[in-house]
Amino acid sequence: MISIDSLVFGYGATPVFDGLALRLERGKAYGLLGLNGAGKTSLLKLMAGALLPRSGSIEAFGRSPSRREAAALADTAFVPEDPWLPSVTPEAYIARYAAFRPAFDDALFERLRREFGIDEGKTISRLSYGQRKKFALAAALTSGARTVLLDEPTNGLDIPSKMQFRKILAEAISDEKVIVVSTHQVRDLESLIDPILIVDKGRLVFELDAETLGSKLASARSATLDGLEVVHAERDALGWNALVARRGRAEDAAPADIELLFNAALAEPGRLAAAIGDTELAPYAPEGRKS
Amino acid sequence: MRLSARTLERRFSVERLMLLLRNRLYDDVPAVAIGAAVVLGVNVLGLVLGRIAFFNSMSFGRSSPWVFTIVVAGLLRAGISLKGMHDGRAGTDWLLLPATGIEKYSAALLDIAVVFPLAATAASVGLSALLAFVEGLVGGPGNPVWLPGLEALKAWGGYAAAATVFIAGSASFRKSAFLKTGGLALAFSIVWSLALALLVMLFVDGAWGGGFSISNGRFSAGDDSVISRSALRFMRTAMDVALYAALPAFAVLFGAAKVVEKEAKDEVQ
Repeated sequence: MISIDSLVFGYGATPVFDGLALRLERGKAYGLLGLNGAGKTSLLKLMAGALLPRSGSIEAFGRSPSRREAAALADTAFVPEDPWLPSVTPEAYIARYAAFRPAFDDALFERLRREFGIDEGKTISRLSYGQRKKFALAAALTSGARTVLLDEPTNGLDIPSKMQFRKILAEAISDEKVIVVSTHQVRDLESLIDPILIVDKGRLVFELDAETLGSKLASARSATLDGLEVVHAERDALGWNALVARRGRAEDAAPADIELLFNAALAEPGRLAAAIGDTELAPYAPEGRKS
Repeated sequence: MRLSARTLERRFSVERLMLLLRNRLYDDVPAVAIGAAVVLGVNVLGLVLGRIAFFNSMSFGRSSPWVFTIVVAGLLRAGISLKGMHDGRAGTDWLLLPATGIEKYSAALLDIAVVFPLAATAASVGLSALLAFVEGLVGGPGNPVWLPGLEALKAWGGYAAAATVFIAGSASFRKSAFLKTGGLALAFSIVWSLALALLVMLFVDGAWGGGFSISNGRFSAGDDSVISRSALRFMRTAMDVALYAALPAFAVLFGAAKVVEKEAKDEVQ
């Protein structure tokens, strides 16, 4: 597991995290959500050991990534949003870099390379952005690392590749691993990520697992918000799209929309906390509408 | 070759160092091949125009063009040996490759200071033999094959010392590391020479106005009548110790400290 305590980190004088605490359990694929600049990539890099905290501690499977010991680095796989890859063929890359990772699964890598349609004869640095991304994801998911950190993994992937990636990620989730996926494309991965971590202004504002989401919250589409216990609602061309407290609603109510949930966590954190805590909600007054 | 889980637990591992060295050599193959092609091209041009292989017939002072080329190529490579560490994207990969910073730095040192000159010397001997053979075939003057001797060994000593400085420069400077390091080394050697000259003028009888010369990294003050033989020998030894021991030792430690410092910074984004 990964534990983060009293983490302080920033660039220059601006703090990104000021006392962040987090526990990530093995066997789960965490979805890390946050606004641009909320510190998602920094948090992944801190967990990988690419950035060092100013104070506080990070521990992954009993080791501190900040010490950058070879064993800790080999037990971590980090795929940046725009991965850098050297000017070599896939085969040469594996021969050179997988050598540092005793648990690297060559056969699985070869299978993923084929499934992703990555040309084995081409220099990987010359592949398209999406192809490079798929290569880096395949290498990370077959590295044998127990900490797998993926930054915007579906950016740049075409629709079939996203489907393949979901399938591969689902296979990769095991009792041994902690997977953390930072993403803005929540709909690409909403069936896989559980729990969801929402960070804002350097703090973890919500950690919600699928069970809580399913039992406490639902989505509703309606022309009017009357009669709904609304946590957060947004108007579009079809009417209101609302995140509502599930209590009292039919079992078959639509599952909570993750994008709405994210917006609710930032715009209406008190109402969201109340809905999760089964506290009665005050009447909802969205901007531009008097309740 | 693949590391074992047990190897990973070691704080410093020769196996990891060898893997890093191997990877560096693989990475260097294209640049070295281009360099070798340029050398070959120049000599082929000489053979075509004047039936002479330039590199087997010319000399730069007391040095052969082969030695000069190996030294210049090696120092240029030393100047970019840790470039990847500073790169915004490749730097993250550099940091997260499962080996310690000291191992990565040691691999660069071994590569530039030892493996490259040895490999380049062996390749140069082969190339020189080939060129001498072709020169003979086309009716050239029959220059001998270049074989590394004492001259090459001496050059390697100076090269290895300078390489440590340029590697440290590569660890320190993000951009134009070769030029910046070269400039700093030049400035340092001028200050060092002036300081020595001043010391001699102040403390050696008769040295004032006796005339000084600094050439080939050695300091001379007039002739032996100005400075006693033992004093001159002492000064030359002091200069040799400074150039071939103190400076490389400082450069190696400074470079290692810069790698560790770099790893501790939040620069890589």
